[in-house]
Amino acid sequence: MNFRDLYERRLDIVKEQKRKNGSPVIGTFCSYAPFEILHSFGIIPVRIWGESGNIHKADFLLQTFICPPVRHLMALGLEGRYDFLDGIVHSYTCDAVCGLYNIWVRNLRPGFSHLISLPYMEIEEAASYTMTEFRNLIEKLESFTGKKFSKESLKRSITLYSEARSLMKDIYNLKMNGISVSYADISAMNICGQTLPVEIFLPELRMYVKNVKGEESGSRKKRKILISGSVISDTSLMDFIEETGGNIVADDACTGLRLLRNVIPEGDPLQSLAGYYLTIPRCSSRADFPSRREYLLETLTDFDIDAVIFIHQKFCDPHLSDHPFLKKLLDESGIPHMQFELEGDGFTGQVRTRIESFFEMLERR
Amino acid sequence: MTEEKKTTKRLHANKELRRIITDFYADAHRAKAEGRPVGWIPPMNGLIELFYAMDIHPIFPENWAPICAAIGTSTNNFAYAEKKGYSGDLCGYFRNNVGYALDGIMEPNQPLDGLPKPDFLISFGAGCIPTMKTFQVLCDHFRVPVFRADLPQIAMEDIREHHIQYGVLQIKRLIKFLEDLTGKRFDIDRLRLAVKYTDDACRIWDDIMDARRAVPSPFSAAEIGIMFVMVTRHGTKIAVDFLQDVLKEVREKVERGEGVIPNERIRLFWDNIPLWYNMKLFNYFEKWNAVVVAETYTSAWTLRMDPDKPLESIAYKSLVSYPLVSCVSLGKRIELIKKAVKDYKIDGAVFHSNRSCKPISMGQMDIMKVLSEELSVPGVMFDGDHMDGGKFSMAQFQTRIDAFMEMLSERKGNR
Ligand code: SF4
Ligand code: SF4
Repeated sequence: MNFRDLYERRLDIVKEQKRKNGSPVIGTFCSYAPFEILHSFGIIPVRIWGESGNIHKADFLLQTFICPPVRHLMALGLEGRYDFLDGIVHSYTCDAVCGLYNIWVRNLRPGFSHLISLPYMEIEEAASYTMTEFRNLIEKLESFTGKKFSKESLKRSITLYSEARSLMKDIYNLKMNGISVSYADISAMNICGQTLPVEIFLPELRMYVKNVKGEESGSRKKRKILISGSVISDTSLMDFIEETGGNIVADDACTGLRLLRNVIPEGDPLQSLAGYYLTIPRCSSRADFPSRREYLLETLTDFDIDAVIFIHQKFCDPHLSDHPFLKKLLDESGIPHMQFELEGDGFTGQVRTRIESFFEMLERR
Repeated sequence: MTEEKKTTKRLHANKELRRIITDFYADAHRAKAEGRPVGWIPPMNGLIELFYAMDIHPIFPENWAPICAAIGTSTNNFAYAEKKGYSGDLCGYFRNNVGYALDGIMEPNQPLDGLPKPDFLISFGAGCIPTMKTFQVLCDHFRVPVFRADLPQIAMEDIREHHIQYGVLQIKRLIKFLEDLTGKRFDIDRLRLAVKYTDDACRIWDDIMDARRAVPSPFSAAEIGIMFVMVTRHGTKIAVDFLQDVLKEVREKVERGEGVIPNERIRLFWDNIPLWYNMKLFNYFEKWNAVVVAETYTSAWTLRMDPDKPLESIAYKSLVSYPLVSCVSLGKRIELIKKAVKDYKIDGAVFHSNRSCKPISMGQMDIMKVLSEELSVPGVMFDGDHMDGGKFSMAQFQTRIDAFMEMLSERKGNR
């Protein structure tokens, strides 16, 4: 069993669940929207993102120098793919998604929309500030759903998501220890974890972990790769890297490992949740160099990484401006790396050739 | 149709402005020489008042960039940035400032003697990504004390007390940092005075902008350079005095019925940052007797500061300045532009789709649509870049603008 099939059916499953239980569905653009709070109101939170293809459909709303994922997501929105959403909750990250949030709300007019703005630093004041931001969202959700906020319910939601995160992390560890799971499966799992109702995802995940644990360890000869970027969702690209001689064991990307690294502590649920969202290892939009450095170095060691592949999106300001810094860091650590930019036309032959030469270079080292 | 005119500056105040610019950078070098700290900071936030109140000289890389573009050294800085691996798709301010700080700063014979190196830096978790990243690069490069400040991004209409209080806490932390750095005590009365100067400057600024409602308009977007004092001299009397002079001159022009061009017929609105390397572009419209009488950029200073609440005032200024001009709140921006279009009796709007600046460019199509559908004010969009002339095509500009202006002329003639 793997998650690719569920991945394909994920939106249908959500729609079905919505029909059955009458649960509202709320879309989120970035990793920092507090899923647990939405879930505690009986809402299904669904992470949505753009990939590549038909990006020109949104040209009348977005300039061509905006990153492909944002243009593609807007195009999908215009096509009606996300008409089943009852609202959008966004937590501020990069300029492009912030613009998208505004343009989306203006043009698609969802019944509910809210923008949270989290602080950037993990200082004491930041925690109480974050709780206030969460409370504002809660207030709005109360009037939107007609339900009262309950700490107990939030605790239950946190427990579910925490179990899911911990099992997902197990999968990374198993892969790291030689069990053969393709990274494309892991990616499908990550995405299912952020799009499926957690009640449906969790039993599947438990079973998946059990099955994977029973598998034989595969060959360990392949090079351990970390992929880094924003939205990395092209499975053919992942498969190609793994076929060419890489074993993607870790990632530094929007939908992956970063979200699994920390656990939500016991205690007052809102406070614990605030703490969690403030200390997720930061994406490049929310971090300064020192904290990026620390996180990357830690991940390189934990996963014993042999090489890094930067998969960037064209026009992606945060990642492109971090790249020279991270490059320097890797050079200093003696870890080979390569970078390419995706331009919204998928996994092209040119990218393929670059990856091949990179692995040839690694062979010669 | 008359030929394109040569002049770009028509306010006498420009002479004084040149002196103010020179002085600003000369003061920075003097401060450095005398051992007073020079801090590099992001623009358009309330820290400038604090700096002046504590005798610290601020340097705004974001203000240095347009100077480099005007003088032409930006091309060099771009090349330096590229050599360091920075993508050519990043904002021109970023590329210029990073290239300059890392390498360009070593070059001999720089305009205005270049920038004095920072004694400390403030790195922000706020503003656009390119500004935030610029400061991260600077912090990594210059081995000087760094103060990491934190401000969340909130749409202006959503700012609540807890946002301001969070800002105030950051500022208090900064004050402590600056006291330790300078060995001097912070004096809240001096901050009050600085805040008062800024408040005065903003009021006069509004009056100056209001004067442009007159038909014919006393000055055009080509004079946008007066904004220099709003960026670099807030919190000082220099800004207040200068703006007072500008206001006087502008009002006199209005009284005399003296416009930018002899026969103003079409009034234009400009959205997005000017092309700093080609300010003459604003004169291009003159052949249709058209003048750019209002801009989005200049509206970012409609602020009120309360000297009785100095910390809250500068926190508020820091919170609103960026969202006001960017896509943090498209709704608010549209509201402001709609108001301007009515107040300034705008006939048409010119949208500079700025490859460098995503946050200001996003949402322009929505704005254009609102103006045309709700206010019957047509708009035209051209591709450009506020820093990089290599990304602007005069031919495309002319084709677009000529057609648009012909259309506007006809509309105007038929009314
Ligand atoms: S992080 Fe990069 S790729 Fe992702 S939305 Fe922002 S600009 Fe686009
Ligand atoms: S021009 Fe735009 S992208 Fe560049 S620094 Fe300014 S706001 Fe940011």
